Amino acid sequence: MTVHGNGQLTDVSDLQHMREELLSLRIASAKSIHVCTGPGCTAKGSPKLYELFCKAAKQAGANVKVLPKAVGCHGLCECGPIVIVQPGDIFYQRVEEPDIAEIFRETLLGDRLVDRLVYEDPATGKKLDTVGKIPFYKVQERIALAYNGLIDPTQITDYIAEGGYSALAKVLSSMTPEDVISEVERAGLRGRGGGGFPTARKWRSCREAKGSPKYVICNGDEGDPGAFMDRAIMEGNPHCVIEGMLIGAFGIGSEQGYIYVRNEYPLSVDRLKQAIEQAKKLGLLGENILGSSFSFDIRINRGGGAFVCGESTALMASLEGRTGEPRAKYIHTVESGLWEKPTNLNNVETWANVPHIINKGSKWFSGIGTQKSKGTKVFSLVGKVVNTGLVEVPMGITLRRIVDEIGGGIRDGKSFKAVQTGGPSGGCVPAEHLDARVDFDELTKLGSMMGSGGMIVMDEDTCMVNVAKYFTEFLQKESCGKCTSCREGVSQMLHILERIAKGEGQVGDVDKLEELAELLEGTALCALGKTAANPTLSTIRYFRDEYDAHILEQHCPAKECRGLFLYEIDAEACKACGICKKNCPEDAISGEKKVPHVIDQAKCTRCGTCWDKCPFTAVMKV
Amino acid sequence: MHALRNVLGQMSVHRSDESVEEGELMPTATIDGRKARIRQGDTILDAAKKAGIWIPTLCYHPAVSSDASCRICMVELDRGDWRQLVTACNYPVRRDIVVYVSSERAERARRGVMQLLLARAPESPELRALAERMGVKETPYPKVTESQRNCILCGLCVRVCEDLIGRSAIGFAGRGVERAVAAPFRQPSEDCIGCGACAAVCPVGTIKIRLHEDEREIEISPFKSRAKLAVCKKCGALVVSTQVGEMALGKIEMDSHKAMGKCEEYLERVHLCPKCRRSDIATRFGTVLAYRKE
Repeated sequence: MTVHGNGQLTDVSDLQHMREELLSLRIASAKSIHVCTGPGCTAKGSPKLYELFCKAAKQAGANVKVLPKAVGCHGLCECGPIVIVQPGDIFYQRVEEPDIAEIFRETLLGDRLVDRLVYEDPATGKKLDTVGKIPFYKVQERIALAYNGLIDPTQITDYIAEGGYSALAKVLSSMTPEDVISEVERAGLRGRGGGGFPTARKWRSCREAKGSPKYVICNGDEGDPGAFMDRAIMEGNPHCVIEGMLIGAFGIGSEQGYIYVRNEYPLSVDRLKQAIEQAKKLGLLGENILGSSFSFDIRINRGGGAFVCGESTALMASLEGRTGEPRAKYIHTVESGLWEKPTNLNNVETWANVPHIINKGSKWFSGIGTQKSKGTKVFSLVGKVVNTGLVEVPMGITLRRIVDEIGGGIRDGKSFKAVQTGGPSGGCVPAEHLDARVDFDELTKLGSMMGSGGMIVMDEDTCMVNVAKYFTEFLQKESCGKCTSCREGVSQMLHILERIAKGEGQVGDVDKLEELAELLEGTALCALGKTAANPTLSTIRYFRDEYDAHILEQHCPAKECRGLFLYEIDAEACKACGICKKNCPEDAISGEKKVPHVIDQAKCTRCGTCWDKCPFTAVMKV
Repeated sequence: MHALRNVLGQMSVHRSDESVEEGELMPTATIDGRKARIRQGDTILDAAKKAGIWIPTLCYHPAVSSDASCRICMVELDRGDWRQLVTACNYPVRRDIVVYVSSERAERARRGVMQLLLARAPESPELRALAERMGVKETPYPKVTESQRNCILCGLCVRVCEDLIGRSAIGFAGRGVERAVAAPFRQPSEDCIGCGACAAVCPVGTIKIRLHEDEREIEISPFKSRAKLAVCKKCGALVVSTQVGEMALGKIEMDSHKAMGKCEEYLERVHLCPKCRRSDIATRFGTVLAYRKE
C-alpha cells in the first residue's frame, strides 16, 4: 500500500493510489460470492451460509480463486437468504445450507446454473437468473443503497475500491465550503427523515449561525413500525454515512459529529464503530484529514428505546444526557441545538446521498425525480405484497408501480385496499390514489406523508379502523408525555377508537376524533404530536364507510374486529370431521358424523378457534 | 445556598423598561390590535402583559424557565399568508409581529386544551376557576384514572425545585400516560428540605403542605417527604424547616464576609419565629433611634 509509516493517508493522491492498488489486487481473484447479511437474510440464517462458503473456499485449494463476501441488505428480503455470484450477477434465492456445495461445484467451478435456486417470476412463471432481469430490481434506481450488496461493510478497503471517500477527496482538494453547499442546493436534496426540508438551506443556516463549536448529527434512531431503511444503510455501507457527514461538516464548519443510533440496532452500532475506527486509522477521520486543514471526529451514541428520540430536539436532549423530550423549535437547532450550539441534524439516508451528489454532480442528481423532490427514496416495502423488502425508487414513481411491479402485487390473490406511508405520522392512501406520484408534496396532499420510508401494503382483509387504532396505540405508548395535547389527546383518541373497534362506538365519535385531530395538529409541542392524528384522519377521509359500519351496524366490513362479524360453517365445504366441534371452547358447534356442522350463534363468542382449526376452510367470516 | 443565589440572580435580571440601553432593538408586537414595544427576545406573553391583554397560563412562572408543556397559552401568530398557533409563554419576539389572542381558532385551541386538562384534574377549584374564565364549563372526555387524577403535569414544581431551590427532590417519573411527578422510587425524598416552594407554585393546588405539630415535622403532600421544623429560640413556636434555616444561614454567613462582620444580628434572628423576629427588630431599631437622638 502507498500509505505512510503510521498507516495514514496524508494526501488526496494517497487515496487514489490506494484505490488503484486495491483494484489491481482484485483482478487476481476471479470469482466472488456475495452472501446477503442484511436483517432479513440474517434472520433466515445467512451468516452460517457465509461461514460455510468461506470453509468451502478454503478447502478448494490455492488454484481455485473464490472470494466469499458478507454484504449488506440486498433488498428482496422475501426471498432470503440471497446469494449472488460475481461476475455474472447470478441471483440465487432461498439458499439453504445443503445448497452450498452445489453452488460451489456447479456455478463457481463449472459455470452452470443451479436451476432450482433461480428466481421465478410469480407473474409469468419465467426463470430469471440475474439481478438485472428481476422486476423487483429493474424498476429500482439505487443511490443511497448503491453499494449495498456489493461491498463488505466491515472492510473500508472494499468501499475505497468502489470509489469510496473520493467525494471527500474532491471536496478537500478542489471545493470551498460554499461550493459544497451550493452543489447540494442545486441538487435539490431534501431531508429523508420525513420532513423533506431542503438540506442545503439547513447547512447554510448552520454555517452562518453565530457560535462555536458547531455540531453535525446523524439521526439513526429509526423507530417507525415496519421501517428498516436506515438500518440497512448503516449495516450495509456505514462508510457512505461517514463520508456524507465529513462533507457536510466541511461545508458547515464543524469538527465534531455524532451518530445517534437506537439501541435496538446493535449490529448498526458495531458496524459504525468498526467503520469509524478504520477511517481513523487511515486518517479519513481525525486531525488534518488527507493532509488538509480540515479536522473532524465522530462519536456514536446509543438511544434508549424511545421513539420520540427520533425527533431532533429530543434527540439532542438525549445526547446531552437529559431526558429525551422535545422542546419548542421557535429558535431553530441550527442556531441553538446541541449544548445550545449551532447544530445540523440529518437522517442516515440524507447523509448517504451526499457523496454521490459530490461525485456525480448536482445536475445528475436533480435529473432524477420530480420538480420539487429530487433523487431517490428508500422504502421498506412490507405488508401484504408478494415481494417484501428494501427498495430504492426514483421520486415521482407511482405508488402503483411500487406495489405492483416491485412488490409483485397483493399476496394470495386478494385485492389491494390501502398503502400506509410515513409511519405513525403518515396516513393510508387508498386504491383510487394508487397512481399518485411518490414525492414529498404529493403524499402530503393525500393526507399522508413521505416520512422516513415505511410502506405498509394492506389488502381487503385489513380493517381501517383497526389500522388507525394500531398506530394511535403505538403513539400513545411512545408519547413522551411532556405536552398536554399529545399525552391526553392521543389517549382520548385511542379511547374512542377502541370503543368503535369493539362495536361500542357512538354516533358523533368520528366528529370527536376530527375535533381532537385538529387540536393535536394545532397545539402539540413537537412534530410527532402534531401529526399523531394522521393515521386516523386519513382513514376517516378515505374509509368513512368502515367507521360508519362499525358504529351504526356493529359490523366490521373487513371482518377483522373481533365480535363485529359472525362465523358460519359452509354446509357444502364441511366434511363433518368434528375438529371444530372438538376445539370449540363454548360447545357452540353441533353436528353428527356425515352431517354438516352448525354454529349456535347465541353461544358463540367469536373467538375464531373453529376458523383457525378447520382443515377444509369451511368456516367463514360473515 | 446555591439555590438562594439563583433566586436572587433571577430577581436581579428581572428587567424593567428603565434599563433599556440606547440603540437596542425594540420590536413592536401588535396583539389583538393593541401595540406594545418590547425588548427583543421577550415573549409574546411579556408583550401581552404590557398591552394589557390576558392570556391564560398554567405551566408558566416568571421565576423559572418556560417549558411550554401545558399548551394553555396558545395564540395565533400571523405569518403573512398563513397563521400559526404558538405558545405565548416561550415564543421569542425578534421582530415586529402580529398576534391574535382572541381569534376563533386560538380560543378554540385553548378551550380544547382546557377540556383535556379538566379530564385530569376535575376537582381542582383553581383549574375550574380558570376554565370558567375561559368559557369552558365541562369536559366531554372521560376522566383519567384515580391514581393519575389532579396533577396536570405542568412541571412547575419540578423546575422550581431544580432551578431555584437546587435540590431536585422531585422529578418526572414514567413516560407518556404513565408520566407522574414523584420523588425517586416514589418514596419520601431525602433531598427534600421541606421549603414548600413546589406547593407555592402548583397552579392547581394539588401539592399541599401538611404540618405535623406533635412530631415537629413538615410534610410535602403527595410526595410524603418530611422535614424537621426548627423551634423559635424565644417563644418555642414552630418556625421553618431546619434545613431551610440552615440554607438561609449559609447565605447570610457568606454575605456577612462582604458586610465585614456587621451581620451577627441577622444570624441570631434566623432562629426566631416571624413574630419574635419583628419584636427583635423593633427593639434594636428603638435603640438606634435613641442613640441618634442623643
